[in-house]
Amino acid sequence: MTTHHYRAQPPEALLVRPLDDLTLLYHRPSGQTHMVVSPVPEILAALQQGAADAATLHARLSREFDLGDPAQAQAEIAAHLAEMAALGVVSRA
Amino acid sequence: MRHSLTLRIGPATFRVGSAWRAPVDDLARLYADYPQERDAIADFTVRLDPTSALRRFFRPSIHITGDHGLADAAPMSLAHGLLAAEMGMNLQMALGWRRHLLLHASSVEKDGRALVMTGESGSGKSTLAAQLGERGWRLMGDEFALLDCVTGALHPFPRLVSLKNKAIDVIASEVSESRMGPLLAATAKGDIRHLVPRADAVARMAQPAMPALLLFPRFGGEAAVRPVGQGEVFMRLTQASTNYVALGEPAFAALSRFVATVPAAAIDFPSGDAGIALVDQLWADLP
Amino acid sequence: MTDAWPLVAALRDPASTQALDAHGWNALIAMARAERLVGTLAHRLADIQVPDAVRPILADARLDTDREAAQALWEADRAAQALGPLGIPVILLKGTAYAAAGLRAGEGRFIGDLDILVPRDRLDAVEAALFAAGWEWVKPDPYDDAYYRQWMHELPPMIHATRDRMIDVHHTILPLTARQTPDAAAMIADAVPIGNGLSILSPEDRLCHAAAHLFADGDLAGGLRNLWDIHCLLVDGMEHDPDFGLSVMERAAHHQLAKAVWRALRLAYRLYATPVKACRAPALFDYRPQRGDWLFAARMLARDGWGRETRKALRFAFFVRSHWLRMPPAMLARHLWTKWRKGHRPA
Repeated sequence: MTTHHYRAQPPEALLVRPLDDLTLLYHRPSGQTHMVVSPVPEILAALQQGAADAATLHARLSREFDLGDPAQAQAEIAAHLAEMAALGVVSRA
Repeated sequence: MRHSLTLRIGPATFRVGSAWRAPVDDLARLYADYPQERDAIADFTVRLDPTSALRRFFRPSIHITGDHGLADAAPMSLAHGLLAAEMGMNLQMALGWRRHLLLHASSVEKDGRALVMTGESGSGKSTLAAQLGERGWRLMGDEFALLDCVTGALHPFPRLVSLKNKAIDVIASEVSESRMGPLLAATAKGDIRHLVPRADAVARMAQPAMPALLLFPRFGGEAAVRPVGQGEVFMRLTQASTNYVALGEPAFAALSRFVATVPAAAIDFPSGDAGIALVDQLWADLP
Repeated sequence: MTDAWPLVAALRDPASTQALDAHGWNALIAMARAERLVGTLAHRLADIQVPDAVRPILADARLDTDREAAQALWEADRAAQALGPLGIPVILLKGTAYAAAGLRAGEGRFIGDLDILVPRDRLDAVEAALFAAGWEWVKPDPYDDAYYRQWMHELPPMIHATRDRMIDVHHTILPLTARQTPDAAAMIADAVPIGNGLSILSPEDRLCHAAAHLFADGDLAGGLRNLWDIHCLLVDGMEHDPDFGLSVMERAAHHQLAKAVWRALRLAYRLYATPVKACRAPALFDYRPQRGDWLFAARMLARDGWGRETRKALRFAFFVRSHWLRMPPAMLARHLWTKWRKGHRPA
């Protein structure tokens, strides 16, 4: 399976508003609003540090959070990244 | 168009044209205390057209349209012409208003702060607003609440209140007959009568208020109050808005600010009085 | 009963709106909205003093058209992402093209679906790539689908499952059953890249397409708006090359569209005072009205001050004509009969 690399959109592309039970995202280029829950906001923040694949992001996030079984966590991160790329919220690098 | 009038309600001016005289006469009479300048530039045009040349005279049938229309709009009988005109104005606002975020909600004001109630048709939001309007609250609107995306204030849009079925008698028993519109029997939503807002609600229709409480009312059930999470509130309000997407970023900013600052609760109530009691209690509990 | 001339006058000479009273403004705005030209009107009136009550109306129109342009460009971006791996030319058409290239024709314009032009021999690959990226058919109707695939210049319409936006994939600019056969391969070969794997038609081809779309493919609903596009395209072209009109007519002849383009330019001159240049050589082109022009003009202006459609008989005649142009008479009869049986009626 090929590993995809992803890149965050420029910081001004996304408005982030955390609410008490979920996080709101406004994506300026598409005009779409997304309601997301962890780990999506954390993945987006970690991607700001530079383009990465799921394994690299897992490493970045592991420094701050306990993500449980590494293989499963990486698979979930990869799935979230693919979904966000399809929405245009992150770009394929 | 043969018959027409121009009407201002809150921040919006409507030019209503009709192939028949009766709906325009009804509007002129019920909105008598509202600004009706013949030479005003209108924000919207509403048209009550005959569905075909024949149906102008024979079994008159109204096609509601205007600047904005729906391709699959159901025709209405001339007997329901007043309702058709009101629906025509709703349609223009829902599809064309851009100066405020539109929420499908009723709103009332007390001491400079606003209570917003949003829910499906039949939730009781219109009737509750009408009843509060007769008990010391100022009615701001029963159909649309207008949220200013820059200031966060609610602007009044006090149209005729649409009362359905049982609610008609409840309200009619409390107000003078001169404030009630004609009975429109057997519409698609049952029997309807319109209520003219009180004089002070009309006189103060340019006066905004900051929202202080959001309720999701549900008529018919044991009295209950349930807090609602911010995420759920946001989602339900975007669903209750016809122009959230059209307004883009300012709407996102305004609605997320609203959701983060205005307390929200879902209330169930078995009767109008029970609903009013819950409202009073929750309002009194506000900081 | 009035017609839409006040709208035409306001677009061609914005300062003339100073003379309007409230009644005049109400009529102008209703017409402009009905013709989907209110954004264009707002743009043309940007530097003109208008009454206080008019200003927010025009501002709202600008908001709407700005948003439509942003959404259209996002759709184009998504199509580019989906089709990029195929390595084929993806050419934006109509409103999206104008917005993407920052053309005068895009200013204040309402943009509908995304229209793209791709090579005919890659249609299957394009269809598959769009499906993989989340687009699906709008409606599965066996008759319409067979008709589309066999005779039309485009795939049956597709819509994106989550974004709810439509895409029209063309392989040429006119139906295969039309009398003219424009040179799609030449249009694709001469397309102008604009980045992100996307292109637009050359300036001459853009105008040919707009004229073809206006006359040879439609029933002239939205005629005033399409004609304004043509006006803008010509004005833009002439800014770069004063003899642009001539190169347009030469290209039009190559596409068998000379008649349509010439009529488009005559009508643009007649309604919008487009600065066309008559010439004697290499061919005689002047812009005096020709037989039939007045009918087209009348059809385009069939709108009153309440926004109502007028001139029903004329509208119906053009509706029938639009189908007649697309297909031979025997086919037309069968097609219209099938549609009539399904309940389709002209607006």
